[in-house]
Amino acid sequence: MSTPPNQQRREESAGLMEYSTESLVPFGPIHPALKEPEYFKLVLEGERIVNVIPRIGYVHRGLEKAAESRPWVQNMYMFERTCGICSFVHSLCYSQAVEELTMYQVPRRAKYIRTIIAEMERIHSHLLWVGLMGHWAGFDTLFMWVWNDREVVLDLVEAISGNRVHKSMNAFCGVRKDMPENMEDRIIERMKFLTDRARYYREVIDTEETMLKRTENIGRVSADTVEKLCAVGPMARYVGFKRDVRLNDPYAAYDEVPLDVITTTQGDVHALLRLRLDELVASANMVAYAVKNLPDGPIRVKIPPIIPAGEHSSHCEAPRGEIFYFVKSSGGRTPDRVKSRQPTMANLPTALELLKGQTLADIPIVLTAIDPCFGCMDRMSFYDTETNKRWTWSGEELRQYGINYYFPERAKKKSGIKKAIGPPTNQYPREEF
Amino acid sequence: MPRRRAGAAIPEMFRFMLEKPSTEAYPFKPIQLPERFRGKLDIDPAKCTGCQVCALVCPASVITMVDLGTRKVGDRELKVRRPLFDLSTCIFCGECVDNCAFNALELTKQFETATPNKADLLMNKAIVK
Amino acid sequence: MSETLAQLGKYAEEVGTKVTPLRKNESTIEVSQDRLKAFVAHLVNDLHVRHLMTITGLDLGQNLGIIYHFSMERDTIHVRTTVPKAKPEAVSIIDTVPGAILYEMELHDMFGIEFIGNPWKDQKLLLPEEWPADLPPPLLKTTKADQIRRRLGLEAAKP
Repeated sequence: MSTPPNQQRREESAGLMEYSTESLVPFGPIHPALKEPEYFKLVLEGERIVNVIPRIGYVHRGLEKAAESRPWVQNMYMFERTCGICSFVHSLCYSQAVEELTMYQVPRRAKYIRTIIAEMERIHSHLLWVGLMGHWAGFDTLFMWVWNDREVVLDLVEAISGNRVHKSMNAFCGVRKDMPENMEDRIIERMKFLTDRARYYREVIDTEETMLKRTENIGRVSADTVEKLCAVGPMARYVGFKRDVRLNDPYAAYDEVPLDVITTTQGDVHALLRLRLDELVASANMVAYAVKNLPDGPIRVKIPPIIPAGEHSSHCEAPRGEIFYFVKSSGGRTPDRVKSRQPTMANLPTALELLKGQTLADIPIVLTAIDPCFGCMDRMSFYDTETNKRWTWSGEELRQYGINYYFPERAKKKSGIKKAIGPPTNQYPREEF
Repeated sequence: MPRRRAGAAIPEMFRFMLEKPSTEAYPFKPIQLPERFRGKLDIDPAKCTGCQVCALVCPASVITMVDLGTRKVGDRELKVRRPLFDLSTCIFCGECVDNCAFNALELTKQFETATPNKADLLMNKAIVK
Repeated sequence: MSETLAQLGKYAEEVGTKVTPLRKNESTIEVSQDRLKAFVAHLVNDLHVRHLMTITGLDLGQNLGIIYHFSMERDTIHVRTTVPKAKPEAVSIIDTVPGAILYEMELHDMFGIEFIGNPWKDQKLLLPEEWPADLPPPLLKTTKADQIRRRLGLEAAKP
């Protein structure tokens, strides 16, 4: 992408050094005049985004290094805390990678229980995400209703595992706790309730003017780009790829429980909303099936604390995409190397391609649509090449700007939002050159 | 594609106005906890033998074994140790509970453990023996 | 064995290596650095193994190992290569697989491997700006956690 010379000079003077090749997004260093570590730098032309320069690593905890000095079982609890919403899938993927190094098989009942908990986690995550989309689009009522329904699935998870978020149900070659007695009917009834609610929300997003205006025709990217940049999860499925680990390489009980992989070719953020709500319904059906056909047997096989030498990897389908773990053992009490790759890392190049060409008001919607899982959007800085202004906004200010951009009649009624309409007056001093 | 209209959610809004609120009344009323809730750790000192398996399996370095002297068994001197729990780093996983062969440990339903004094979270019930 | 793996086995023999099957649908191939680019190009363009899951770095004592994990339906293919620790320069596969850019930047941060051909090979992705130049990359076995903490001025961890 060759930029015209005066634009290049303007961008360089702002301290945003730029490297660009044909289809990739440039990353750059932090500008020395900005005191706080910034997350996103966006280069604008008037209203349209031309370039995005991200900086990640603020919540990097060095888990891979820490894993090399801890025993195998303790690592499972540590990797569970990589993420709050995909915590069970992280511990499941790590367990699967380690179990293949041993000679033990996972009992069938444990596989079914793992599937049930993983699908409940997916329901929880998608409900949370739909609520967040409502919040960023300005439809706070939807946010409140969806998060109310989220309590239903969280109560079920708490009744089974004892905790709402970090379930700690996994063990090597099994699960730690059995399903409680007499819960089958309650689970099936609640899954039916969640299915009805998801169908209602689907109708709301299809007809409600607020959501349609904010999400239709926004966030389009070509299928070729998605394949080249190796996107995973719903980001690959919303342009038509049938890429789902549960289908391509079944683990746990996914080869026995009927699976319904949803893909769509619509290709915009509205399609992502429909896709995740349909996945929610499919997950609820899977939980109901698994609970009805739960086989008998043991739930766990105890294995010795020393894992034989070897290398193995495993991948699972988290609510956000594909999680990958690689484990190397040299026959000791601690692993030699553990590598964990989260889905948001794989989706990041695609997300940055998505942002190009969008307007300023669409940033929160597009960034939430990829379902990011890092401490995000607390600070963003902007540089407008047309007016040569630079300013910083918090996430809340950006959200208000987006709402007032699309629904200006709302802005006139409320009074304290004036500073969010258009670039605010606190600008950094321009550099002379 | 159904007709676009504003206010698709209004009938639902009326339904919500007639239902009771979803907010829990805690702390003005006690909260309902499930059977398997994992709260603060508790030890039964009579059952603990000082085998230190709990200290070896804890992922969060909560448990340290404290020397309490020796005792005679036959003509040998055996060390007596008991666990000291620093519950400020506990992650409530329950590994110690699962691995204790004498059923001395239990995760209670107590979750109101916030305190301005860190010494309150040191559990030394097993040491006084 | 799937057809892709059979074709891959034939190609590997032509090039001089072989496909070693591991447990549960995984296979590993050892390729030298000078053959790597052609091998990955054949894998992606001719055999249509398009999805790169991630790139892992290993500390093998004298050498640094780099493993590319490709995924195709049920099969997982690990392509391994090594670079010496004294001169950690590796070949970048960005022109074949553009999605590898972040993984190569992460390896540069964590192991100090320079990927020649990567346009951002000197940028930091995960490490902070204040990372001192004389502190070795964190994931090497010789770099201890205490060393990092002391050098960055962080407080000591609980024993």
